[in-house]
Amino acid sequence: MIYVENLKKEFKKTIKDPGLKGSIKSFFKPQNEIITAVKDISFHVPKGEILGFIGPNGAGKSTVIKMLTGILTPTSGRCEINGKIPYKNRKNYVKEIGVVFGQRTQLWWDLALRETYTVLKEIYEVDDESFKTRMAFLNEVLELEDFITNPVRTLSLGQRMRADIAASLLHSPKVLFLDEPTIGLDVVVKDNIRKAIKAINAEKNTTVILTTHDLKDVENLCDRIVMIDKGSKVFDGDISDLKSRFGESRELNFVPENIDIIKTLDYKNEFKLSDDDFELSDNGVEVNVRFNSNKVSVEKMLNYTLSKTHVKDINVTDADIEEIIKGIYRSEVNLDA
Amino acid sequence: MRKVFKIYRPFTHAGVLIAAQYRANFFFFILGDILRCFINYFLWHAVFTSGGEKTFAGFSETDMVVYIFISFLTSVIAYSDGSYAVGEEIRDGNIAMRMIKPIRFDLAFLFQELGERLITVTLIFAPMMLGVEIYKFVVTGVIGFNIVNFILYLFSLILAYLITFYFNVCYGYSAFILKNLWGANFLKDCIVGFLSGGVIPLAFLPPVVAVTLNLLPFASQTYIPVMMYVGMFDVPTIIYSFALQIFWLIFFIILQQIIWNACVKRMSVQGG
Amino acid sequence: MKMLRKIHRMFKLHRIFIKQDLKKLMEYKIDFLTGAIGMLLTQAINIFFLSVIFARIPNLEGYSFEQIIFIYGFALLPKSIDHLFFDNLWAIGHFIIRKGDFDKYLTRPVSTLFAVTVEKFQVDAFGELVVGIMLLGYSVPKIAVSINFVNVILFVVAIFFATFIYTGVKLITSAIAFWTKRSGNITYMFYMINDFAKYPTTIYNRVVRTVITYIVPFAFTAFFPASYFITGGNVWYNIGGTVVMAVVLMAVGIFVWNKGVSAYESAGS
Repeated sequence: MIYVENLKKEFKKTIKDPGLKGSIKSFFKPQNEIITAVKDISFHVPKGEILGFIGPNGAGKSTVIKMLTGILTPTSGRCEINGKIPYKNRKNYVKEIGVVFGQRTQLWWDLALRETYTVLKEIYEVDDESFKTRMAFLNEVLELEDFITNPVRTLSLGQRMRADIAASLLHSPKVLFLDEPTIGLDVVVKDNIRKAIKAINAEKNTTVILTTHDLKDVENLCDRIVMIDKGSKVFDGDISDLKSRFGESRELNFVPENIDIIKTLDYKNEFKLSDDDFELSDNGVEVNVRFNSNKVSVEKMLNYTLSKTHVKDINVTDADIEEIIKGIYRSEVNLDA
Repeated sequence: MRKVFKIYRPFTHAGVLIAAQYRANFFFFILGDILRCFINYFLWHAVFTSGGEKTFAGFSETDMVVYIFISFLTSVIAYSDGSYAVGEEIRDGNIAMRMIKPIRFDLAFLFQELGERLITVTLIFAPMMLGVEIYKFVVTGVIGFNIVNFILYLFSLILAYLITFYFNVCYGYSAFILKNLWGANFLKDCIVGFLSGGVIPLAFLPPVVAVTLNLLPFASQTYIPVMMYVGMFDVPTIIYSFALQIFWLIFFIILQQIIWNACVKRMSVQGG
Repeated sequence: MKMLRKIHRMFKLHRIFIKQDLKKLMEYKIDFLTGAIGMLLTQAINIFFLSVIFARIPNLEGYSFEQIIFIYGFALLPKSIDHLFFDNLWAIGHFIIRKGDFDKYLTRPVSTLFAVTVEKFQVDAFGELVVGIMLLGYSVPKIAVSINFVNVILFVVAIFFATFIYTGVKLITSAIAFWTKRSGNITYMFYMINDFAKYPTTIYNRVVRTVITYIVPFAFTAFFPASYFITGGNVWYNIGGTVVMAVVLMAVGIFVWNKGVSAYESAGS
């Protein structure tokens, strides 16, 4: 369905010294700097899957989405969606996809919402019959009825997002790209949007690619997640994968009286732990031990630690998804296994 | 000047920064506008060629060309965004915030605009003046620059700017009634452009009309300073014109103050 | 058949947006009126200015007052029609690209140029259109324009292609923004040259004449086609030139636009 192979995107950025002098200099002798927004990303999405595409700000998410939707041309590598290459024969390709950018509307500010859909019907060449049934379905899922006669500029943010999602689905696309569809919405509206996305996915087995900063979106919706950071993929797997690998993980944090003591601690041999199940780090004051609680109990870890050192402070925490992802964002764990 | 600058310096500084940021933009826009002067230049050239007369309403061809370019320069320098700025403040309700601040509303605007003008003036004043003087030299064969006229022009120009500024601030209050500023401002610019002699020297109009328009504040915005530069006023007219300019400046400052006081009263009674 | 359907679709889209902008006009009646009065007044003042001049001279480089008014009115027609339908090109150079709003046009299955231009119908242009028609109505009976079938066809052809000279100039200059992010000021500078077209090109010197005839050929939007109707001569140059210039400018414009879109695709925002 969607194949992405070694996708790479570089931008050329002109470096300019400040001030008028800098402008003149850069005009006659432009100096460029190459910025690699996406280094090398490969993944594959089967039909009907909801894929969560996550990563910190500036990780390259939007750049990837823009390449997949045909807005940007990749520097190298390839992507193929429905057997088509997005940036080649763009007009033909975009008929089969729907795109929503949560940050900015794609609707026309002064048109009444109903008219917006008539415009899109013409643009996407939807015939009258399918338009009718499609509108009925979207109306039901996204509850557009209350505000369909209002001009877009008068809609609330939540209404606008629903209207935008409906607009992207009018032509029954095979793939739906949602770039931060819940941004800035309150909890109730977010929940409604999520339900709608699920219903849309179920109805025609529409493939959904979703970027978000809200991990509840991911937990609620996504079959699988691809996580990227600094332009590279750092995780690719389903939620249960992430949970089973890291859901059992615990963090033991303690502050020893003398930091040199950690040299005498040998958890690995004591409990026969593999690299996957164990990781130790310190910041010169505090020691952080991440371990798999299936392999060694919390009690044993505590006892061992306390028998070897005098500690000023000690605590054990669960690692929930959010923590894991934060950890990955901070590249504290390496997932390239 | 320096002392006053110190009090409202932050505003002037902000104005300079804003204008500096847009200077490249401004430059292209001005180039586009200067084209109009050249059209008028060619048009008048053809008129003087076709007419066979040496002067029209006392203007020789050289006077006319100087008038075209200097009146353009004057209208660019003595231009004010006051009506937009005030209108915007009224529309978004910021005007209420101005009332609780211990600074004078009009002076804050004025000093910000002076900062913006600083950039404008440095960009176009010298090149255009030089261009006009070179033209005069090429056509007449003598250096026609008159330092007295130039100084009179400068004084009159400063007065013209201040009149324009206060006139626009007063006009900006119309935003309390009209919603869309663009239309209202377009209409105003069009009328003022004509009445101030920006399209055609007032001396070309029928005497009764010309005398009436001369008395109106608009003539003080462009026509009077330009005539000082061209040197077509005699001494009594110069004195009379300065008096007229000063009268209109005081008139608009007082009018502005009255409207402002009425606004404050209205706001404090109705709560905005 | 497919072509016909496509054209039908285009018109349908235009109709929706035209209706939208007319509705907005009704909503802001007073503002529209003040703007329109301003527009009318500007033109009236210009005409007054011409009449003041003509009070002192018998003719301008051999052209009578009525003939000058005919050229002037003719100039307003293509200008206002371009203004009506292709006004959104200004927004490309002013803010659409700079603010990153161009992305949405790339996700539509229609040409980006069509998607950009269709969504705005600039009702402000009605003022100029009305003045133009009025000036023609005033001047045509007073000058020796022969009204016959061929001339009516030629008139329509000339206005149609002259419109695309305006559009072409805007297209080329606003497409520069694909590389520089903003080019509204450049568009403005070139667009303002159109004012030269309102008067006979014979009043200008050689440099100006060359520029407005061959480089930014606004002379073909008014003076040349209008002088065909005034003198009845040189139809191939006066009307044919308008057609050729419009075709060339639009071809260059579409080429630059497409190049710009692909530069945008590889540079991002």
